[in-house]
Amino acid sequence: MTDTAVAPRNINISQAVAEGLRLAMEDDDRVLVIGEDVATQGGVFGSTRGLLKAFGPQRVLDTPISEMAFTGMAVGLAMEGYRPVIEIMFVDFIGVCLEQVYNAIAKIPYMSGGRVDMPVVIKTAGGSIGAAAQHSQTLWGLFGHLPGLRVVAPSNPYDSKGMIAAAVASNDPVVFIEHKGLLLERAQDFEFGANVPREAYDVPLDKAAVVRPGSDLTLVTLSGSVRHALTAADAAILSGVDVEVIDLRSIVPIDWDTIGASIAKTRSLLVVDEDYLGYGLSGELITGAIERFGLGSLDYVGRHGNPGVPVPAALSLERQIVPGTESILNAIVRAGAAR
Amino acid sequence: MSDTLTDAQLWRDRYRLMVLMRRFEEACLTGVASKEIHGELHTAIGQEAIAAALAEHIRDGDSLASTHRNHLHAIAKRIPLHPLMAEIFEKETGLCGGFGGHMHLFDRERRFSTTGIVGASLPVALGHAYAAKISGRDSVAFAVIGDGSVNTGGFHETMNMASVLGLALVVIIENNEWAISVPFSAASSTPTLAERASAYSAPGERVDGLDVDATSAAIGRAVAHARSTGPAIVEAMCYRFRGHYEGDLDLYRSQTEKTDRTTTKDPVVLLRAQLRDSGMLDEATLGELEAEASAEIDAVLAAVRAESQPDRSLAHDHVFASGLTVDFGTKGAVA
Repeated sequence: MTDTAVAPRNINISQAVAEGLRLAMEDDDRVLVIGEDVATQGGVFGSTRGLLKAFGPQRVLDTPISEMAFTGMAVGLAMEGYRPVIEIMFVDFIGVCLEQVYNAIAKIPYMSGGRVDMPVVIKTAGGSIGAAAQHSQTLWGLFGHLPGLRVVAPSNPYDSKGMIAAAVASNDPVVFIEHKGLLLERAQDFEFGANVPREAYDVPLDKAAVVRPGSDLTLVTLSGSVRHALTAADAAILSGVDVEVIDLRSIVPIDWDTIGASIAKTRSLLVVDEDYLGYGLSGELITGAIERFGLGSLDYVGRHGNPGVPVPAALSLERQIVPGTESILNAIVRAGAAR
Repeated sequence: MSDTLTDAQLWRDRYRLMVLMRRFEEACLTGVASKEIHGELHTAIGQEAIAAALAEHIRDGDSLASTHRNHLHAIAKRIPLHPLMAEIFEKETGLCGGFGGHMHLFDRERRFSTTGIVGASLPVALGHAYAAKISGRDSVAFAVIGDGSVNTGGFHETMNMASVLGLALVVIIENNEWAISVPFSAASSTPTLAERASAYSAPGERVDGLDVDATSAAIGRAVAHARSTGPAIVEAMCYRFRGHYEGDLDLYRSQTEKTDRTTTKDPVVLLRAQLRDSGMLDEATLGELEAEASAEIDAVLAAVRAESQPDRSLAHDHVFASGLTVDFGTKGAVA
């Protein structure tokens, strides 16, 4: 995936996303970017910067604070043959416009009997950066629960550019969830996916990546938790646990081939999920693994993540709730001891 | 009556279309009674004049986003009657293969869609209007909503954005006075809905929605404004003859009110009397037009009734346009 012989470019993840969008828009003039502060400001995190200058105010539209209106616009635009990228600034804001996402964008391909597709990207940012309960959620489990949506969450610069390109190219609606804690991180600070080629490329939307091979425990995680899991996995060697870290990349669909191959080796599965654990991704991964690989395929299953608490403001409290390197290491050690 | 009454062909077409719409809805009612249609069915009996007026203005390149009470709007948009009724009857030959049902009708080619969520058609129409603008077409995006929709946040967001962007959006409000059981008088901060247009620097006009001629003229003015300037609202007053849905006990409206309105304010009956009394169309012609419309609907209904529901094996298809299947819960597990 990464050519370590080439020094990483001096860009951050937001710039990688913007570059992916720019190339997609150059390639296909049906692609539009619509949302709050996406044009003049180039996005509050800079992930649409430069698009207004390159493509003008019709294709890159700054909207009023009217998520319900501009999310619904995507439905009409898609029916007209456009490929809208709708930015919901923070994923937490989906509460004001979920209607058009889950009742229209996600269901129209089905409700129309396959006659109307919805090539719409819902581009949004999630994750904890100290912004407390209404600006810290990830919510991929919420989207994953609803039929008809692909849901992806990249963890590194290379994937961010390639997956936004693949999301735009997809004829299925895609919820593309960036992590706010990653967007401004420089590419050179990543130990995986640091090199971002200048040319266009796609990263498949349905393939997980083994980012650290190991033999004792399969740790499946995604988005902002991947780098913490890698650090924790390195430290876990001292506890005698050799962790294989899988970056899930895609919440829907789940890449069972990659997970199954890992579990066949480790017979142990730990899910680390920044999202709420209840009724979510971790339960789906563990249940799905048992369904697919059999009750006898695993000696250990566990999950570590938000136990069902709104994300608190104080850093001392946030660290109790949101998975970090230390808490992931503890979860690995517990898993190692239980095996 | 206006000068247009001198055009006999226009009035023949109008009357025939309104009768056809009435017969279409009546055919759907038989599908509820026979249990061929299961689930809710919302008919627009009593609201035919508005859809017939809309039909005179909407062009093939224009879009129409409608509501849960949508059959007549589909007819106005010239969705062929057979696939339309077949979809309402949940048949494989339906507009959406039986996957959508009567509240969820989609025809991409004709730029027509509906939604079962009150108010949700407006943002969709906004998207069509924006598409027309950026692609340089002179199409108009129509959204038909009920009086209940006007109180949703989406109405405000859509009107504001359409005005800011100068989009060709015509919002037709069918004010049938009832949002299920809540009367308009208890739900609106303004005496009319048309006057809310001024908040968006848009023209708004209330019109008698039982009068096809007046409604058509109002829609014509709204379309002209939309093409030249930006969004416009037409509030067409009408009355829902049936319950909110078939099976609604409808105890919130007095029998006196219902009897009075359905017997003295039936747009089809009123138009018939008007045409006959004015000498525009004679009794024989009116009867002929009614027989034609009935025969057309009878033939569609008979054909639809003979058709099948989609094969059960298709239920998992179309979740994703790409063909992706996710298979939640389809695998067992053994130790």
